[in-house]
Amino acid sequence: MSKRVIIVPCSGIGKSYGTVTREAAYVVAEELRPETTTIVPLSLLVLGDEDARTAVRDADVITMDGCKLACATVNVRQAGGTVAKDFTVLDVFRKNKALKPQGISELNDGGLALARALADEVAQTADEVSAGGDQHA
Amino acid sequence: MPNLPQRKVGIVACSGEELAAGTVTRLASLKVLEELRPSETVTICLPLFLAGGEGDRAFAKFYPTIAVDGCDKRCAARATELYSNKPAASIVVDDILAQHDLPAPQGLRRLTPESRPVVDALAEAIAAEVDHLMAVRWSRTDGAILEAAPAAQDAVSTAGCACGSGIPMTTVQVAGRSVQILALEPILDLAYSQGLRADGALPGEVLQTVQVYNPIPAGEEAVYAEALTLAWQAYCEKREEQHNG
Repeated sequence: MSKRVIIVPCSGIGKSYGTVTREAAYVVAEELRPETTTIVPLSLLVLGDEDARTAVRDADVITMDGCKLACATVNVRQAGGTVAKDFTVLDVFRKNKALKPQGISELNDGGLALARALADEVAQTADEVSAGGDQHA
Repeated sequence: MPNLPQRKVGIVACSGEELAAGTVTRLASLKVLEELRPSETVTICLPLFLAGGEGDRAFAKFYPTIAVDGCDKRCAARATELYSNKPAASIVVDDILAQHDLPAPQGLRRLTPESRPVVDALAEAIAAEVDHLMAVRWSRTDGAILEAAPAAQDAVSTAGCACGSGIPMTTVQVAGRSVQILALEPILDLAYSQGLRADGALPGEVLQTVQVYNPIPAGEEAVYAEALTLAWQAYCEKREEQHNG
């Protein structure tokens, strides 16, 4: 059995987009692909937690970022992890412009729908990554 | 007289996704920011410390922060200290549960309704710390509470950052154009308090610290150094005048 794909959202607290990544990560890990994905908290990577660093080094990682600073992607790479695919909320929003996210504590309906759209893309990528991993196993 | 920026308190929440307590830290911090103390607080993104958030690092270096953590790993408190400065206060959810005899929060993506009192209690605790930190005097040079010290000195021509964070921005002339330097005033404060003086040259420590919080374009190091030298000399002259006058 291949390793789970690691999902790392930025969970930024300053903008709605950060909450969209957090929501999308939960949708993937709890609903869409609970058997093949798991979330690693970015705060642990920032601190340099050895278990978290080992997790991202030993598995394929999908990151989700809410802004151009790309905290999730940058921190995973600094921890020595390989980012199989980095998603940004803005890219998904450009494809779903009716889904304008608002709110940080609680997303509006548009934000929740945008998170689900992002989650769908992440889940599909997780499948591809898992399949690729199996081929190399 | 330049206007000093309004002091604010930074809140750094761990926001850990693995624990319900991580979600509690996020929601409580946002409640303080949005409802309880909107004028006195800013939130700081913890991951930005490593991802190049110069403004966030500068704020936490020179202004008081409250770290809010969901577990004993204390990611927010330890990472803030590691990359910027020791938080003025550190709160862990477990401590709030014990103080208020509350049950452990449940729910990651959505907290259960029974967990809302934990968010409220934590938010009140954060707000109380904000009130405390706003009431005491804060040393930007030491990054700590001043117990009893002389009144704060004047700033170099400085205004609050337009982002509303309270970080001072100083405008200097670089090769004939106006450039805003983040946190220059507290950096000069720090250098002066460490005994550095203007003997005609810019101390290397000042330039290095400025570069931590301000990206200097390649090839412009010399003109930036020239501008910072003038700012440093003016600052020292003002401090000497205050000392002598």
